[in-house]
Amino acid sequence: MDDEESLHRFGTPLPTLEKDVVPAKKPLAIEDQIVKDENGKRRFHGAFTGGFSAGFWNTVGSLEGWTPQTFKSSRAEKATPRMQQRPEDFMDKEDLGEFGIAPQGIRTREEFSKESEEEQRTGQRKRKLMQPEQVGPIPGVPVLEHLLRPVRDKVAMRILKSMGWKPGQGVGPRQTKKEKRQASARNKREQYLLEHYGAEGLSSLEQQQVAAAEEGRADDNDDDEEDEDITFAPDDYEPIFYTPKENRFGMSYSGLSRDPILSKSSTAHPAAPMQHINLFGQLETQPKQKPLSIRGQAFGVGAFEEEDDDIYARDDMTRYDFSLADKKPKQKKIQHVQQRNVIDGFSEDKSGAALQKPYAIDLPRDFKPRNWLQRRTRFEPMDRERTKKLEARNEYKRTGLGRHDLNPEQRAQLLGEQKSQKKDQQPEQPPSRNPFKERNKLLDLINAKSEGFTKGGLIVDEVLPQAEAAAETQTTATAMAKQVKDANATIQEKAVRKTKDLASATPSAGFKPFLADEAKQLRYDKFLEAQLKTDAEITEFLANMQPVTLSLWDREMEKKEFIQAAKIYRPLNGLMYDRFVSEATVQAEQIKEQQKPPEERKVVMERTKAMWKPASLLCKRYNIAEPFGGSMLEPPKELKGRPKISIFDYLETSINSKADFQTPSIRPKHMEKPKPAVLVPPPLAPLPPPDAVVPEPEKEKKVEEPTTVKPSFVPRTPLEQAVDESREKPISEKKDLFRSIFEDSDEEDPVPVAAPAITSLSTPQEQLAAINEALGLPSTSGVSASSLNVLRNNSPPRGIFAALFKPIEELKPKEATAPPKFAPIEGNKLKIAYKSREERLRNDKELAMAEVPVEDIYGPKLPEKGAAAKTHAPEADHVEVGIEAKLQHLWQKHAPKKRSAEKWVEKKALSTDDSDSDSSSDTSSSCSTSSPAKAKRTKVSKSKKSSHRSASSKKSKKSEKKSKKKSKSKSKKSSDRSKPKAKKKKSKH
Amino acid sequence: MPAFANYHCKTTIDCQQGAVRAVRYNVDGSYCLSCGSDKKVKLWNPATGLLLKTYGGHADEVTDVAGSCDSSYIVSSSLDKSIIYWDVSTGAPVRRLRCHAGGVRCVCFNEDSSIAISGGRDNVVMCWDIRTRRLDPVQVMKDARDCITTVLTNENKIYAASLDGCIRHYDIRVGEMICDKVGEPITYLARTQDEQCLVAGCQDSVVRLIDCETGGLLSEYKGHQADDYHIECGILANDAHIVAGSSAGDAYIWDLLEGKVLQRIRISDNGGVVHSLATHPSRSEELLFARRRDMYVFTTDLQIEEEQL
Repeated sequence: MDDEESLHRFGTPLPTLEKDVVPAKKPLAIEDQIVKDENGKRRFHGAFTGGFSAGFWNTVGSLEGWTPQTFKSSRAEKATPRMQQRPEDFMDKEDLGEFGIAPQGIRTREEFSKESEEEQRTGQRKRKLMQPEQVGPIPGVPVLEHLLRPVRDKVAMRILKSMGWKPGQGVGPRQTKKEKRQASARNKREQYLLEHYGAEGLSSLEQQQVAAAEEGRADDNDDDEEDEDITFAPDDYEPIFYTPKENRFGMSYSGLSRDPILSKSSTAHPAAPMQHINLFGQLETQPKQKPLSIRGQAFGVGAFEEEDDDIYARDDMTRYDFSLADKKPKQKKIQHVQQRNVIDGFSEDKSGAALQKPYAIDLPRDFKPRNWLQRRTRFEPMDRERTKKLEARNEYKRTGLGRHDLNPEQRAQLLGEQKSQKKDQQPEQPPSRNPFKERNKLLDLINAKSEGFTKGGLIVDEVLPQAEAAAETQTTATAMAKQVKDANATIQEKAVRKTKDLASATPSAGFKPFLADEAKQLRYDKFLEAQLKTDAEITEFLANMQPVTLSLWDREMEKKEFIQAAKIYRPLNGLMYDRFVSEATVQAEQIKEQQKPPEERKVVMERTKAMWKPASLLCKRYNIAEPFGGSMLEPPKELKGRPKISIFDYLETSINSKADFQTPSIRPKHMEKPKPAVLVPPPLAPLPPPDAVVPEPEKEKKVEEPTTVKPSFVPRTPLEQAVDESREKPISEKKDLFRSIFEDSDEEDPVPVAAPAITSLSTPQEQLAAINEALGLPSTSGVSASSLNVLRNNSPPRGIFAALFKPIEELKPKEATAPPKFAPIEGNKLKIAYKSREERLRNDKELAMAEVPVEDIYGPKLPEKGAAAKTHAPEADHVEVGIEAKLQHLWQKHAPKKRSAEKWVEKKALSTDDSDSDSSSDTSSSCSTSSPAKAKRTKVSKSKKSSHRSASSKKSKKSEKKSKKKSKSKSKKSSDRSKPKAKKKKSKH
Repeated sequence: MPAFANYHCKTTIDCQQGAVRAVRYNVDGSYCLSCGSDKKVKLWNPATGLLLKTYGGHADEVTDVAGSCDSSYIVSSSLDKSIIYWDVSTGAPVRRLRCHAGGVRCVCFNEDSSIAISGGRDNVVMCWDIRTRRLDPVQVMKDARDCITTVLTNENKIYAASLDGCIRHYDIRVGEMICDKVGEPITYLARTQDEQCLVAGCQDSVVRLIDCETGGLLSEYKGHQADDYHIECGILANDAHIVAGSSAGDAYIWDLLEGKVLQRIRISDNGGVVHSLATHPSRSEELLFARRRDMYVFTTDLQIEEEQL
């Protein structure tokens, strides 16, 4: 077995059979055959229940059990984000193997391996050796083309694909089976012809196709039953390029090339024989390029050629037609319109109307073809014939119908009138001219005859006169016509004259105002022409022209008329002259203006200075100390600064602008105020009488009160001290003070400020004190009402209070001017004034205490007049009286039963307390907004009061108490407001 | 008086940002900034014409720009009613300040660049604190009756020129506002180096020199055409010459004392308003002009001229 040693063995050899041992072993039963994997594990089990065994007994676990995935992440080693799970994670090793479901190995991607199916199957590429149009030394498909493969289809291919074409199919409309067969047969024949006689270029593949088509034909032969509906894509075949024969070789013989082997085709590049080998040559092959390969029937088949079955190119007899009748002449040729191109909703026209021949039209002999779309301009000369025709047609338009060309004679002739002149020459009209008329005449004659006959007259006699009459009428008619003509002529003449006159006059006069009187008009024209200016000239001029008959007055009138008319009826030219200017003049003016040097405008510098407060932050950033240590007057706050706009802002500002409430306590004293007249509080008498209220709006009053009291006021309690101190502080900083005040007030009942401030008094002592005070009795506590003012809240009323107090402010000046509401009070005025003086005396002691020499008072001195006015403040009186009235009213209301029997309080005392109260509280003033009806009532009560002068004060006290209680419930707000004041008062004690 | 040498165009830079609205030098004059109608601010090297950075973020035309004292920030004003505070190196808008009710016309920094002052079409001058992140102005001056055209500041004053014909000095130290009424709308305001005088370019084609102390009119410079344009003027660093643009494509340089035209710089033969200009903060030999889309760097340096020749 020498031979065997040189052999390679594959596979495992079968166990050698012993010669004598007969194989007794039974072959394994099917059920015993167990499939095992490479590890010796059983792969299949449970043939009836399961299938593959996977994992550990078909579980994910193992012998040790299932271990879940671990996750570990530390600061140093961050866990990578969770891995994407892939199907491979769940596969066994076998699955990834060569025969598994997901084989892993390097392969060419599908788009790069678009070779024939067999290549794909084998997984290897074979270079196509047989390439008919091969150029170059290396046979076969160029190597680079083999390596470099276009991934994408060519554009044409893509277009075809988008149209529904598939690789392998032919291009063209879908065909029925029959057509397809015919086409393939035709193709085959052509191919054959090409192969044998024509140009080369038939690849083996095509041959195969041809063969397949043949086969198909053979197959189809049996089911020749035509199914027209089923269409097929046409077969693909190479287009045949017929090349002209340029040589004298035999058919399809190309001979040997004379070119050097390394050169390209000599025909393609004859000038460059020793050219570099173009490896890409095949990529850009021209279809008509002559192949170089030595190929032909004479040389048989080359070594590289695959198709060696056709070495000798035997002619197949099947390729020849044996009978002429083999192909039946087709009855009809169906036009194949590509179905694809038919739009939806349309169907192919089967009738073949498109093939119908157009009918020939018999054209008129003198037909001239003309393009009617081609437009002609009107100015183009017309062709002669047409113009002639047109002219002939429109002749009448130019010449008229000829009616007016006739002269009267002719017309008369036409009408058959007998002309007097021509009568002699033509005694009778030719009968032929107007046979109808003649007949009429005859008729007339007959009629006349018959008439005559009936009348018994003679016809003969009748005939002549009628003719005569006719002649007569004719003559008269002509005469009339002449007359009319004459008249017309005269009229026309006149008109011409007149219009001529008008035309001549128009440029000069334009209008004829005196056309009625020609002489006058003439004079007017002359007057206009003269263009006289002065009055004397005009009179003289007119006097010369005017007739003597004209009276002096008429002359004067005429003169006036003329002047007026000249003014009114100026020629249009002159009239418009004022209004319009020619452009040229305008431009000239403009130029003149431009040329004129612009007048020197003297710029006068003005310098004004104003206060301006730089923001503190701005100063800080500029590194500059704030002017005046930052204590400059703040500019009025703007709404803009607020981040949010609240409707309450508008509410408040509408009622009273904040600017009106400038509390002096905020303002630093050392600052110079921009408006000292308003802002600097006028110094008052050290302790003004409580009733001497400044006759100014409330705000002013508030302003002055604290300052006026200040010199006299000596703080006694810590609270008072705090108050005193806080006066200089802004309101925001007063918070603490207020808190201290209000905390106290929570514990105790509110204490009224003064008696008429209609608030309840908790303790009888306090009540007594208040009433005493109100009545002008020496107060037990010894606190003056004026001193209470120190503790008053000076802040401007806000919110609801603002709304409450605003009307009073407005009301007050009104009252000053219009007191009739409180008419009876007017009478008391003097008394009130007197009382106030009295009170001042009563408060003498306090005065003495507080009196400070005038020189010591800080601030500018108040003018004397203002001070004097204060003492006799009528408005204040009114307010007091209003309060009094209110009080009185309340009293009446709540103690009506007692009223009849009660003793009346002395008016004097009452009014005193009123005055007291008013000076100290604004709550009372709020009460003064009582209705006029109430005021009236008080009027009544007052008059009553005046009668009962000797009323005891005790009774009044009682009644007051009651009224107070009632009023408390009624006007809670006011009492609330008075709380702090009451508190302050208390603290003073 | 320093001798005057004619200016020559050294570089022409096509800014490529639409119409150039303003050109400004930075604090030391080594760089320049241009504001375009394409909502961008560009930083240039005027010597070479090199574009260094583009700052985009405005929503409308940029009207004015100013660099901070350390050249690390830029503040720009725009017709989108906002002011943007830029970081020079990153080109990122650090802060966008919006409080003006109208387009912002002019902007400037104070000496240590802690406050930006802006004036706008809403007749308001606003001072913005740049140091903090405050987004509302530190102070608002509402005295002007018409559009604010220029704001200037020195160590204790803020100057605001307005179209109502007034120059307002806000003296922070004294705490008062001085209003110098010229009577003619003032389109631009410049200050001399010694801070004694103001140069006000007026709408009536006159540049006026105004004394800061007294508010008196010192001199008038005429010859150029302002028409209805926002013509800017300036004073050269030597305080001896005054320069102003013109609507006819040229610029004028006057002698400060005598008031006569020293040079009429023909910037372009085919028109275009020379509306913006900037004088070098230290060297009087350098000038910047803006016309249409271009920025022109002018200098008296003869060498360059020779080079060009």
